[in-house]
Amino acid sequence: MASKIALQALSHEYVNPFTRQRVLALDGLSLDVADGEFLTVVGPSGCGKTTLLGILAGLVTPTRGAVLVDGRPVAGPGRDRGVVFQEFAILPWRTVERNIAHGLEIQRVPKAERAATVRRFVELIGLQGFEKKYPHELSGGMRQRVAVARTLAANPEVMLMDEPFASVDAQTRITLQEELNAIARATRKTILFVTHNVEEAVFLGDRCCVLSRRPGRVKALVPVPIPREGRTWKLLASDPTFETARERVLRLVREEVGGEEHRP
Amino acid sequence: MAWLAVLGTTIAAWTLASATLPLPDYFLPPPTAVLAAMTDLIAKGILPAYVAESARRILLAAAFGLLVGVPIGLVLGISRRVADFFYPLLNFFQSVSGIAWLPLMLVWFGFGERTILIAVNYTVLFPVIFNALLGVRSVPRLYVDALRTLGAPRWRIVRDVLLPGALPSIATGMRLGLAYGWRALIAAEMLVGAHGLGFMIFNAQNFHLTARIMLGMGIIGLLWLALDYFLLRPLEESTIARWGLVQR
Repeated sequence: MASKIALQALSHEYVNPFTRQRVLALDGLSLDVADGEFLTVVGPSGCGKTTLLGILAGLVTPTRGAVLVDGRPVAGPGRDRGVVFQEFAILPWRTVERNIAHGLEIQRVPKAERAATVRRFVELIGLQGFEKKYPHELSGGMRQRVAVARTLAANPEVMLMDEPFASVDAQTRITLQEELNAIARATRKTILFVTHNVEEAVFLGDRCCVLSRRPGRVKALVPVPIPREGRTWKLLASDPTFETARERVLRLVREEVGGEEHRP
Repeated sequence: MAWLAVLGTTIAAWTLASATLPLPDYFLPPPTAVLAAMTDLIAKGILPAYVAESARRILLAAAFGLLVGVPIGLVLGISRRVADFFYPLLNFFQSVSGIAWLPLMLVWFGFGERTILIAVNYTVLFPVIFNALLGVRSVPRLYVDALRTLGAPRWRIVRDVLLPGALPSIATGMRLGLAYGWRALIAAEMLVGAHGLGFMIFNAQNFHLTARIMLGMGIIGLLWLALDYFLLRPLEESTIARWGLVQR
């Protein structure tokens, strides 16, 4: 199958502008993501996950290597690749509906069509009645739903998600993960989802990519052969396939964290 | 309610001091004399004319700050290169206050309206520029990145992100600029002497019309409160407070 995204020998080095110290964040990382695949990337903190996503988004230019999307090299941000950021990146001065419509406004989608799309996504994320609210009037989980809807409404080819549920409470996170799984099932978008949470990575991913500690490289690719229809936390709690994959990813990540104190 | 009590006490103490202290009449006239001066000046049409004059000048300066200062500040905030070039110049001139310019302005433009307006506009300009610049720079990078990944062109990032994000700071700049401008206006009116409240109180001193001086001072304060209430606050509340950027 043709790969939607191809990362070819990516290396990235940061230079601290004050100390002139160089930090190698990524070291020759290669990875292919198939069309319609949900790939999760997991690894110890500081392993270059966010850098990887920034490069894919076109916000960071890699020191070496190339990124191809549909065979074309990435040279800057573009609306073919939508991003959901770790922090709340929706605009505080726009209402829920105007935030969701933002990508469509940029694409000059006619007003009536825009309104219809917004309505559809407001429904999808279950925020009916909150259309005219400003972000500061919403809970953390609601805000992140709006961010996801904004990205989806712009209809990108690829969704890049950088620990989008890290700053919401545990209960909300579970709901959001299930909702995202349903959205992925319905839209069949190619999704690259970065997280440091192993359970989340295995729950969401068709495959789970484990990165080594810094400088980041692909340590292993773990397939999670569970159909999306069957992915709810209730069902997976007793699913041996899920359990095996989870154990395996956890072990791989622990090897990289390396501390004895992490062993059970 | 509390401040009504403070006001009442102050006026009572003032009346008492004026009546009992062994001072000449012009030194500390009682509140009633200030009130009498007010009715007299209103009847003669002087006070309304001077108030209108000073109010007109500060409102012109407010418009100047919004139409000239804000755009300059935004451009400086958006372009690091332009900012680096002009910053030393701006920094130098902001230290030379509008009042320090007055002697030179009097030579160039004479004792009149033009000199006053230039001095006040100049005073308003710098806080407005610097705060607009700061406002643009304090917009979270994340918002800009988010718009770039939605495929937004540069002008749209300026319009949808940088401008609204800078508004709280722009409002602060307008508030500071007008506060400085209001003081500079009174001082300029004193020195230039072309009508206005500053001229009124400075001129009154020549004739020992102390009640008129006190009246003018009170009105200067009251006019600022009106400016704050009718112009600055609505500006802040219509946007910033509603977006939750500033908690009131």
